[in-house]
Amino acid sequence: MMRRPADRLARLLACGLLAALATPGAPAWAADEQGSDAQGGGDETAGFEEDWGDPWAVEDQGLTWTGFVEGGAGLRFQEVEKLRRLTLGELRVRAETSHIRESYTVDFKGDLAWDEVRESLDGQLRELAVSFTPLESVDAKIGRQVLTWGTGDLLFLNDLFPKDFISFFAGRDENYLKSPSDTARISIYTDPVNIDIAWTPRFQPDDYLYGERFVFWQPAAGEAAAPAVARRAEEPDTAELALRLFRTVGSTEYALYGYSGRWKQPLGVDAQGQPRFPRLRSWGASLRTPLHEGLFNAEAAWYDSRDDRDGDDPRTPNSELRLLLGYEQELVRNFTAGVQLYTEHILHHDRLLANSPDPARAREEWRTVTTLRLTHRALRDTLTSSLFTFYSPSDEDFYLKPSVAWRRNDQWLFTGGLNLFGGNQAHTFFGQLEDNSNGWLRIRYHY
Amino acid sequence: MRKTSGLLSAALALGLSAALQAAPLSDVSEIVDRANLASYYAGDDGRSEARMKIEDAQGRTQLRQFTILRNDHADGGDQDFMVFFSRPSDVRGTVFLVHKHVDSDDDRWLYLPGLDLVRRISPGDKRTSFVGSHFFYEDVSGRHPQDDEHRLVETTDTHYVLESTPRKPGEVEFERFVTQVDRETFLPMKTEYYDDQDRVYRVMEVLEVEEIKGYPTVTRSRMSTPLDGGGTLMEFRYIEYDVGLPGDIFSERYLRNPPIDWLRREQD
Repeated sequence: MMRRPADRLARLLACGLLAALATPGAPAWAADEQGSDAQGGGDETAGFEEDWGDPWAVEDQGLTWTGFVEGGAGLRFQEVEKLRRLTLGELRVRAETSHIRESYTVDFKGDLAWDEVRESLDGQLRELAVSFTPLESVDAKIGRQVLTWGTGDLLFLNDLFPKDFISFFAGRDENYLKSPSDTARISIYTDPVNIDIAWTPRFQPDDYLYGERFVFWQPAAGEAAAPAVARRAEEPDTAELALRLFRTVGSTEYALYGYSGRWKQPLGVDAQGQPRFPRLRSWGASLRTPLHEGLFNAEAAWYDSRDDRDGDDPRTPNSELRLLLGYEQELVRNFTAGVQLYTEHILHHDRLLANSPDPARAREEWRTVTTLRLTHRALRDTLTSSLFTFYSPSDEDFYLKPSVAWRRNDQWLFTGGLNLFGGNQAHTFFGQLEDNSNGWLRIRYHY
Repeated sequence: MRKTSGLLSAALALGLSAALQAAPLSDVSEIVDRANLASYYAGDDGRSEARMKIEDAQGRTQLRQFTILRNDHADGGDQDFMVFFSRPSDVRGTVFLVHKHVDSDDDRWLYLPGLDLVRRISPGDKRTSFVGSHFFYEDVSGRHPQDDEHRLVETTDTHYVLESTPRKPGEVEFERFVTQVDRETFLPMKTEYYDDQDRVYRVMEVLEVEEIKGYPTVTRSRMSTPLDGGGTLMEFRYIEYDVGLPGDIFSERYLRNPPIDWLRREQD
């Protein structure tokens, strides 16, 4: 795996980060502070102009590159077989730019990261897409892009765009929960309703747990562990189509959704016993509206598992209904709370049990999850403390995600947090992740 | 299309302010209404670029740069705002959309480009920091005049001095505030907020006013917190009024796809 050049590059990147760390503050401000002192501080507005890299009179010309350099480290709280203690160990460089022209825009976002856990240098193209307006009421964005819709907070019903749970569990920035896909998105705006069509010619699954970094339930072994061989399932070369019809009436947002593609994780097993992505179609609806002193949202989705509509094939997931209710309100100044009630109802659950090789560990007919998000902002939003909890009464398991972020200035951001998993049984959704509980720290420099 | 009726409205505005200078007003609600219009409703719509320099008590500085589009449904009535951030780099591409309602809570959305997420912000408290500055959301979009009881305490040669006390004291952090409204322009030139120990803990000062298309416009102001020593300086430039912004700009479509034509400065 090209260890040597990669090592050299990693060392170079590390030197770069150290150099950045060693630079005290931002040079432009340092100059300004001296300037103000020289003027005796009489004019409080003096030096404002000089603070900016460019004067007002010049608009951004050509390509402006921005981004960040970030170092992150995270450790599992306990040893597990076959895996390292390190759950996050990386040095990441992000570059972003936009090329804006009269009739089109090209956006680029790319990452280069040395991943110490996997001991590899990874490049990721997060965005390279062209946006244009082919007709007055039509917008198009074509290329690699991140897509999001739906009303849930870290719970996804009708958003079947790819997600990266490995990043989420390892403590990377929340932005990395969404993976990009190569998609043509067409948005049509009309008076009665707006329409979004997202066509992804090649199925893009989630970044799901497959044996590197995290343990998960192994039915054959009867325990949560890392599999003997870390291997991703084969990805089918089929297309995905996602649809959204949406409209805002007064202060209320309504939407209808459709999706045709596959389960985003390899929940099926083929004849050879290998994991596979069964076909999935889904339909749903949502609304979001102010209520009392907060915001209320409701969302529903019907997952039509097309390869097992009768629900009697134990190697393919059954169809399900998913329902979500949410409410968020600022309780006191700068302190916001959000609660969600969520349930997954397995259709034909009796057939699932009748055909299951291990009925005792089969999914419950109703899986319920409650979430609570508490967010506190202090020091004019520079210190943000947050706690997100998932708790499932039906599975008796939980996932706690506390974090603190300190934005020292426009350049430096320090973030730390925990991912705590647990449950009464080793096979449930969050319970199987118990041995993955970890703590992480990240230091980011924005340029 | 973007430049219409400028001369007419300029003439009207000048004529009005000149006429009003003659005799001081004594009706406090009229003064408050005129101050509200002068501060937040110049023209039928507007476009401006803004920069903020945020300085904390330790002297550390942060900067913000953004472009604001505004559209009025009616003078003194509902308004739409859109704020497009260009700096610093961690908020570049973030867009803030407000549908301001006079009779109900404002609707607010934030577009986060990293997630392609249109996040609705719960109505809640508008007296919290606007993007990390000493200005509050409410300072940027305007506090509803009917939220306070106003009293004209003094009329000087140049200013009306108003004292305002909140109708719902539990919802705000101040006990009262005192505003000096320019008699000619009706712009609030200085506002001092008092805490429960009758200390001035928050001060807004206008540092520069320019006449743009006939509308006296604040182009430089400062919000400071004297008790801890911090403050934010805000500058506006490239201000245009009555540019003919289409109302449908203030929607999800343009959160995701910024209306480049309207964000660009005038080329002349």
